[in-house]
Amino acid sequence: MACGILLITHPGIGTSILAAAAGMLRPMPLKAEAFEVPFDADLAALLPQASAAMRRVDSGEGVLVLTDLYGSSPSNLAGQLSRLGTPVRRVSALSLPMLLRVMNYPEQLLSELPATAAAGTRNGAIVDDA
Amino acid sequence: MLERELVVSNKLGLHARATAKLVQILAPFRCNVTIAAKGREVNAKSIMGVMLLAAAQGTPVTVRIHGEDEVAAMEAVAGLFERRFDEES
Repeated sequence: MACGILLITHPGIGTSILAAAAGMLRPMPLKAEAFEVPFDADLAALLPQASAAMRRVDSGEGVLVLTDLYGSSPSNLAGQLSRLGTPVRRVSALSLPMLLRVMNYPEQLLSELPATAAAGTRNGAIVDDA
Repeated sequence: MLERELVVSNKLGLHARATAKLVQILAPFRCNVTIAAKGREVNAKSIMGVMLLAAAQGTPVTVRIHGEDEVAAMEAVAGLFERRFDEES
């Protein structure tokens, strides 16, 4: 069994990052979906759809929710998802390096994945002076 | 410990897809694998690690593998390099 991955982002971000990762990793080691939150969306109205997406990627081991910007509406929606009963961990600053690194550790438990994800974004930022 | 010199021969070098392929091929093996180029040695099971090498076409690399299944892992890596990461050129 493995954790599911749910990207909750601003418009245009989650789907694109997921598509880029899918182009590099065939097959994708973990079940993943993107859920994009429109600007000026009613979060309460989106919650059922977001929850359905979360349930689609969950196979019983919980879901790692990756958001693009901490404190934004997508991240606040992720906060609401984490109170619905499914085990959820949230990490912000979604990036392609973050998603690739998460996909590279598919055997990890939900308790381990947040640190793996955060290191992906951190180590992916390289000041290229060469 | 096994060590082998290989050359990045595909046109695009160790770009993202080629790197991902290398890392995915190595994932099932238990051994430790490093890849060194241009004075830098990185974990060959890490996508960002391998991409840090920025190894273009023609770059010689040194693959070092240590562990119980090192022979099979080296075969897999060498095969992938010889097939130019399954890319056209």
